[in-house]
Amino acid sequence: MLRHISRTIFATLLALSVLGHPAGAIAASDLTLYRALGERPGLTALMDKFLDGLLADKRTEPFFGKSDHAHVKLMLVDLICDVIGGPCEYAGEDMTTSHEKHAITAADFNALVEVLQVAMDQQGIPVADQNRLLARLAPMHRAIITRR
Amino acid sequence: MKPIRYLAVARHLALAGLVACIATPAAAATGKLVLTGGVSSIDGAAGGGLTPWAVIGTNATDGEIGGTAHVTRVSTQDYALTSYGAALGYHNKFEISIARQNFDASPAIALNGIAPFGVKRGENIEMDVLGVKYRIFGEAVLDSLNLIPQVAVGIEHKQVQPNSLKSVLRFLDASTSSTDFYVSATKLLLEHSLLLNGTLRITKANQNGLLGFGAGAQGKDKYTGQPEFSVAYLLHRTLAIGAEYRFKPNNLEILGRRAGLGSALREDDWSDVFVAWAPSKHFSLTGAYVDLGGIVPGITRKRDQTGWYLSAQYAF
Ligand code: HEM
Repeated sequence: MLRHISRTIFATLLALSVLGHPAGAIAASDLTLYRALGERPGLTALMDKFLDGLLADKRTEPFFGKSDHAHVKLMLVDLICDVIGGPCEYAGEDMTTSHEKHAITAADFNALVEVLQVAMDQQGIPVADQNRLLARLAPMHRAIITRR
Repeated sequence: MKPIRYLAVARHLALAGLVACIATPAAAATGKLVLTGGVSSIDGAAGGGLTPWAVIGTNATDGEIGGTAHVTRVSTQDYALTSYGAALGYHNKFEISIARQNFDASPAIALNGIAPFGVKRGENIEMDVLGVKYRIFGEAVLDSLNLIPQVAVGIEHKQVQPNSLKSVLRFLDASTSSTDFYVSATKLLLEHSLLLNGTLRITKANQNGLLGFGAGAQGKDKYTGQPEFSVAYLLHRTLAIGAEYRFKPNNLEILGRRAGLGSALREDDWSDVFVAWAPSKHFSLTGAYVDLGGIVPGITRKRDQTGWYLSAQYAF
């Protein structure tokens, strides 16, 4: 019995994941994630919590303590808005240029993701939307993690 | 001759290694995302409950060393299995694991009615598993915008100590030690909060090795490829639900048929549905409902073995 149930679950999930929109850039017209995150005001509120979290966490504080908080926050809002298909254009430094001097490890990267997840929880963002955003950001690890 | 011995030595060495790990400050700051190292499978390797994944276990990511210890209990209508063990993850590249399984084979006493096997009442079968896994390529978690999976290859060397069931294994002509080889591909489709794993295991094992390896029948002493699948949905970064399906060989049934016992020795595929919860970075609990099909159904009134699986893992 269970075998049939799990077979059905597999078949369905596999079909969904294959048929579902393939991983790739969000089409410019797809504003669903941007809206789900509360558009620009929502992103700004989220980045406020995020930066507070980064400064409160002893793993990430050493990186952000001395940075220009208002600037980093603004850049993050622009960047996220841009990569999720929102009506913004990120004009800051590219990820390699802005991070290479910080010698960031995979563990540092994951610590930052965790702080972002907590901020998203606090903001009441549903997990499925959290993961859609993380899916946009995670691949940037290639440019950001420079110490292995 | 005690084949279990050298595994016992390996286990002590590994435990010493783990202790050394806790003592080094490097391990204190291991930084993998919660649950992305999987949980401990019954054979010790990181993965789902019944099958290994391509992820390297423990919280250790690039440049780090981490350890886990687990204890798992599976209990069905007629049998019970306890597994405990440890794993060491090195630089998110390499994993070594050990597990000891203790299988309560009480119903096997009925075999004495078929032939004078001398099976003792309440007999246990013990099995030691030494696992090694190597990640070849891919990044299951962070490369969320491509479909390239993380791929790993591994071996599980198993030695079974059948105790008074030795005569039964001899009758089946099943050996007491063998090595499984596997290749696993894991991908987290973060966009969909979905983790998929496929493993192909090359094995001779009967009931994962608890009933020995291979059988004395034409074509039943050979390695065969058995696929295993897992799918998990992330409800939260600390909570996942999912299902697994593991194909298994069926080496023994033919011997039972020849002995006029019908399908008494048939072996079925395994499956489960599970919930994994990580209340902290260091601790996870996995609960599952398992369907192990028939396990020597001839001595269990032909019924399928279904029941509960509970596993706790500590990571340091
Ligand atoms: C996907 C993950 C990340 C994204 C999207 C991201 C994005 C950004 C952006 C947009 C900026 C501003 C660039 C500019 O000034 O033009 C920035 C700056 C910065 N980021 Fe990241 N970042 C990520 C990960 C990390 C990690 C893991 C760390 C360290 C743990 C980090 C540390 C910093 C620091 C310290 C600055 C300030 C740079 C400075 O003032 O020199 N970032 N980041």
